[in-house]
Amino acid sequence: MGFSDLVKQAHTEKRTVLTEIESKNILREVGINTTETFLALSSEEANKKASEIGYPVALKIVASGISHKSDVGGVILNLQNSEEVVHAYDSILRNIQNTHPSAKIEGVSVQKMAAAGTEVIIGMTLDQQFGPVIMFGLGGILVEILNDVSFRLAPLEEKDAIEMVDEIAARPILDGVRGQEPCNLKELYKMLLQISVFVTDHPEIKEVDLNPIIVNSKKAVAVDARIILNDDQDERQTL
Amino acid sequence: MSVPGHNLDRMFNPKTAVVIGDKGPNYMWLKNNQTFQEKGGNLYSVQIDEKEIEGIEKLGFKNYTSLTDIPEPIDYAIVAVPRQISPYVLNDLIEVNAASAAFFTSGFAETGEEIGITLQKQLTEAAQNANFNIIGPNCMGLYLPKSGIRFNPDVPAADDGEVSFLSQSGTHSIMFSLVMAAQGMHLSKCASFGNAIILDISDYLEYLTEDPDTKVIGLYVEGVKDGSRFFHALKEACRRKPVVVWKGGQTEAGALATKSHTASLASPEPVWEGIMKQCGAISTSGLDETVDVMKLLLNSKSTEGRKLGLMAMTGGQSVSITDAFCKVGFEVPSLSKQSYDELETFFNIVGGSYRNPLDMAGTIQGNTETLQRILTILDDDSEIDAIVMEQSAMFGARQWRNKPEALDAMLDVLAEHKKRSQKPFFTVMHPAHEEAFVVEVRQKFAEHQIAVFPNFERAASAAALALPYCLVK
Repeated sequence: MGFSDLVKQAHTEKRTVLTEIESKNILREVGINTTETFLALSSEEANKKASEIGYPVALKIVASGISHKSDVGGVILNLQNSEEVVHAYDSILRNIQNTHPSAKIEGVSVQKMAAAGTEVIIGMTLDQQFGPVIMFGLGGILVEILNDVSFRLAPLEEKDAIEMVDEIAARPILDGVRGQEPCNLKELYKMLLQISVFVTDHPEIKEVDLNPIIVNSKKAVAVDARIILNDDQDERQTL
Repeated sequence: MSVPGHNLDRMFNPKTAVVIGDKGPNYMWLKNNQTFQEKGGNLYSVQIDEKEIEGIEKLGFKNYTSLTDIPEPIDYAIVAVPRQISPYVLNDLIEVNAASAAFFTSGFAETGEEIGITLQKQLTEAAQNANFNIIGPNCMGLYLPKSGIRFNPDVPAADDGEVSFLSQSGTHSIMFSLVMAAQGMHLSKCASFGNAIILDISDYLEYLTEDPDTKVIGLYVEGVKDGSRFFHALKEACRRKPVVVWKGGQTEAGALATKSHTASLASPEPVWEGIMKQCGAISTSGLDETVDVMKLLLNSKSTEGRKLGLMAMTGGQSVSITDAFCKVGFEVPSLSKQSYDELETFFNIVGGSYRNPLDMAGTIQGNTETLQRILTILDDDSEIDAIVMEQSAMFGARQWRNKPEALDAMLDVLAEHKKRSQKPFFTVMHPAHEEAFVVEVRQKFAEHQIAVFPNFERAASAAALALPYCLVK
């Protein structure tokens, strides 16, 4: 399904938040690296998918109305074999039923674990004066508390992407610390520019959140993604 | 100079101005603008109140009871009538085809009252339909020193202004103009634009970008209505000349205050900062910092380099000046071997030091030749990108007062050095116990076009912001 069809469908279903799988499919369509993610409706299906794509895998809840999946026990990472996958599937459903009894659960997503690397985030929000603003920061809890992020107005030029990455206080971490290899910064610049083009081309988007993106010396891959549409599906208000 | 063909050119270079509705006993607007008449402009009054006309004529102004009777085309009108009258005045202004009007009159949407909101809407619609340039309302209007148009009786009507300033606040526009003048810098054009119902910040900014008299632009902004247009106007302005943006409402509580001041929407501080960087603007957070940055832009050469040669008078100050500059990202490197070899031959190291920072009062001892020699060594040293010198009012004021020629001689050496050297050079002089006297001394620095800051921290912060953009060639 193309983006405009998806927007129409969401509109018909009276929802503005696209699921992880929908979001990732759209992002992949515009060339952004994301981990390929499949929907499983049962533990058997999850098990089958996992063995197809290869271990280790991650399982995440797919349900509308749950935005912080890991906070409610909706994400289990690093599953090494069939037994762990089946067990994780059941735990996730149980956790969500306990914490969000009214949640509309669609299933559980299965995806290959990304290679090790540093977690970063790229996002877009609408600023009430300026319009679509792109954000970059390091992922993880500490950075959330320190608010160590940089912003630029879309559309970005290449120099803006470079400055955004250079500006954050945690920047030295991307050069590799304690024997880690330096991250591939060009992949981050590229992804920032891709997101900038994507949101500029689609004024019906209100928010984008790639969190986290795993970046290492080779590439950057978004392992979770969320796109939120404008309520009215009209052109976005940029006042 | 002007920008021929520009929609705002007559407004910014007026030949005929009119004050509408000024009142005694002060006749503030007519008196403020006596300088316009002195500089050859035609200044008229429009007042229908018999009681006021006598006072106006006594001041020597020709009064008309109707705008339509004025014999010349009006370039700029200052409107100070009660708010209910303002739509009628606007109709007359449109009828006589005036180029612009600043509405000092307040009591519009900023009050939140229904009548104010209605009147503002009336003005806006009428002006939009007629494509008429309104400044304000609820503003101090224009300050055009070269033309003699003023919004305050104390701002100078100087001809040599190079800085233009746009402000959402009337007070900040006046205070900026006065503080700049007190520091020896003059404005070219200034607009306090209040509610900005027609002309908004981007309109003024686009003119100043083109204006050849404007070398540097300053803005005081609380919020912008058309963010996208402002972004593009600012980016283009920054491509052409340095732009200093002082943001009001940087904190959450401050942003709340801007809401009641100018009804401005605020962006989160890191978003604003990111956008300023993206445009290439210099972002400041207060009046003094804005003035300091202007001073460096106008009086220094530029460098992208971060390595400083620091000349302090005493040991304690050599430490403090180093800390202040390094805290904001500068470096104070060792000098070249060649420099050390030469300094060694004459530097008094008893109670002094020629490492970098230099602790040099005991070596210079008021000798301008030695001062010049040290400056030349630092100038020739390839390890050094810029030179900062401390001036001690604490020790020097007594001597400068008794022997003014000693101060003049030193300033001549500094000015000569500045002319010769390709490296930025500026000074820091804490007034210590000599506040009043230092005002005079600072004026002499300004005459020699040597930037002087009142403490290391302010100098350092101005340098960190402005050095890459300085204008002296």
